[in-house]
Amino acid sequence: MEMSKSLRYIIAVCGGEFIKFITAISIPSNSEYMRKFFFSIRMSQSQGTSTVKRKRQDSSPAQTPEQVLLSLIKSKGDMGIWIRDMKRETNLPENLVTKAVKSLLVQKLIKEVVNIQSKGRKHYMAAEFEPSKELTGGTWYVGGNLDMAFISVLKDSCLKIIRKMKVATLEGISDFFKRNKIITVECTTPQIAEILRSMVLDNEIIEVKSTGLGDYSSIPIGTVCYRCATGIGLGQGPKIGAMASTPCGVCPMISQCTPDGIISPKTCVYFTKWLDFDF
Amino acid sequence: MITQHGLKLGINLISSYFGDIVAKVCECLLRKGTLSLGQIVRLTELSRENVKNSLLVLIQHNCVQAFTIQQEGGFQEETKIITQYMVLFDIIIHHMRFPKFLAIVSEDLGKECEEIFEGLLQHGRLSVNQILERHKQTSNQSEGNSQEAVQENFSRLVNARYVERCPAHQPFLAPLTEEETAAKKQGAKSAKTRRQMAEASETLEQRALAEAAPMESIRFLVESFAETKVDEQNSEEDPHSVTVGEKRKQGDLDLDIEDGTRKKKKEVLWRANFEEFVRHLRHKACIANVRTRFDDGAGIVLNAMLEATRSTETKVKMECSVPLSMNTIFEEVMKSEAGRSMTLERVRAALVQLGCHLPAIGIDETYSIDLKNIIELAQNEEVESIVLKRYGREAYRIFRLLSKAGHLLETDKISDTTFVDKKDASKILYKLWKDDYLHMEKIATYGGKQSQFLLWKVNKKSLWEHVLDEMYHAGLNLRLRTAYEQEQEKEILQIPREKLVGELAKRYKRLRKVRIVLESSLMKLDDAIMLFHDF
Repeated sequence: MEMSKSLRYIIAVCGGEFIKFITAISIPSNSEYMRKFFFSIRMSQSQGTSTVKRKRQDSSPAQTPEQVLLSLIKSKGDMGIWIRDMKRETNLPENLVTKAVKSLLVQKLIKEVVNIQSKGRKHYMAAEFEPSKELTGGTWYVGGNLDMAFISVLKDSCLKIIRKMKVATLEGISDFFKRNKIITVECTTPQIAEILRSMVLDNEIIEVKSTGLGDYSSIPIGTVCYRCATGIGLGQGPKIGAMASTPCGVCPMISQCTPDGIISPKTCVYFTKWLDFDF
Repeated sequence: MITQHGLKLGINLISSYFGDIVAKVCECLLRKGTLSLGQIVRLTELSRENVKNSLLVLIQHNCVQAFTIQQEGGFQEETKIITQYMVLFDIIIHHMRFPKFLAIVSEDLGKECEEIFEGLLQHGRLSVNQILERHKQTSNQSEGNSQEAVQENFSRLVNARYVERCPAHQPFLAPLTEEETAAKKQGAKSAKTRRQMAEASETLEQRALAEAAPMESIRFLVESFAETKVDEQNSEEDPHSVTVGEKRKQGDLDLDIEDGTRKKKKEVLWRANFEEFVRHLRHKACIANVRTRFDDGAGIVLNAMLEATRSTETKVKMECSVPLSMNTIFEEVMKSEAGRSMTLERVRAALVQLGCHLPAIGIDETYSIDLKNIIELAQNEEVESIVLKRYGREAYRIFRLLSKAGHLLETDKISDTTFVDKKDASKILYKLWKDDYLHMEKIATYGGKQSQFLLWKVNKKSLWEHVLDEMYHAGLNLRLRTAYEQEQEKEILQIPREKLVGELAKRYKRLRKVRIVLESSLMKLDDAIMLFHDF
């Protein structure tokens, strides 16, 4: 038992390196004890939870690949870890890692999460953590996809509120949401700010500073507020410019178009379509 | 700088108005820059006579400005005086805007003035006598009466600054002073020789233009009653101007001072003042933009302010309108019919919309509108709408974000702010970058997992140039297509109208519609070209 203790110690310290080493070597020893020991380690690696392992857990700090992996995954917190990185960091062979991960999944100690940066990669995280913003892509992502339905509902509501209030500050809109319980899910003020910002980019609303006059009388001078565009051209989204209303303005091939080339205004199909009038 | 397609459009315009030979000379000047007659002959391989006549046509139509410089002679050679010809690209492009200019005159001063002005546009430059002559030929009215009326109308055109005296035919540029030459020589030795040379020649052309321009005091001066005086003045600043038309062609184009001064009494030549029209259209564009962005009130106030200060503007590209006091603004607003219903409070609110800061107690305060900002907003709008139509709604949002930010942003940040899926955002950004709409920078970090970040931004200066070039390209395409459609239906156009029945009538109708669409699109597109080039 003396020997096994020191061995365990080595495993605990060296972790994956040692396990890799012992799994790589054949069993040369004629010592019955050594043979049994190696066998038991291999068993625990290949079969997941076993009685041997549990016993050992209670009795000593030595770790099975599962434990190694679990502690590694836990150490990553809400960032989780990619399966290939697990291999790299523990130096365990691929089949061992896969098996250990599978068994951990069955035990619900870890869970698979989607990483927005690379959806194809298998990413794991300890069960008690919630995936971080970097992983999920932030509050607007559900299951790795942008929650367009939710966003458009929020946008519509904001537009309606602004139309109703004529001029509204961010706080005003946020309060309106809370007071009237427009949406059942919780929606924070910063989230609404994000929505408003994107609506400004869409030219659906404009950002102005309060002048303290007229519509703005209830808002302190200089406060940023939002309003629907009052002009003739606004409120209907972006205006189509002169260039964009000709075929060349939207032509993806314009850089290859020459007066007598293969693509030329004379033979241009976009032009033909544009000038195809019905009588 | 003239972009590639701007150049092509210019050549196309000249070729369709004045023929291929003139276009060839014009192309040579556009591509090579200012040249002498001999150089043009050598480069175009046309006969001297052809080149000379082409240059005369171009000068007559204000597309070329001649000037003379002194060239130091080499060994055993005397100092020579040579005539150089520079092409005026802007005026070539103005040729396709003539219908617009005519409409402005017609709207502002009426039909009679429009007729006179039309003559000036057709002939490039004319003297008062020639204008009278032309009027005699075109109208059948009794002579005496109409002559006075024509003169009267002509004065109105000049007073409204729609017509100006022609620049000097061939100003002489004195050699550069010692210092300047030294600087030039130094530059020639440095590595940037070519660029500096280009800069030097650019200033030479600018000098020529400045030298040729009539003095501000006589630019809009009609002195038909004191002709001798005019002549004196004129011969002083314009010693070698040649008379129009037939006589002009007889005159030797190369410098010949003796001949020039001894010519019979010279007449003052007049031409359209393109600067005024550009200013007019610029104001119109600003007012239209303000009207769509805010409301009619803002449009009326801006219109009144610009109308009142038009003659005091010193250049076309005024950054801010000329400052006016509140009282003057209010008075000016009251002058127009639409403005009469506005109250002082309403005018004040409009000024605030236009970006003026009104003090709580305003005494002797003057207000000026940031016109440059309005033009920039209009330019943004134009480019954004191209992005929207060509690349879609999400690209539009991304582009607006970058354009507003004005600095580099990272892909993830862009995707988060615009609610575009990260993968899609990368694709859109890449596409915009490939088409020169965005500028991209890569940043690599060592250590850590993600080693490369992509940063994006809108580089307005180069993008605007790119967009302007595409617009010239589109304009050229519209013109080429119009010509092509005409060519296709040539036979129909030769058949008298009354014989056009059935299928032929249909084709005729179609052609008409096609032409209307193409030509009106070109006029609209030209507004956008002016927005980027002239305003």
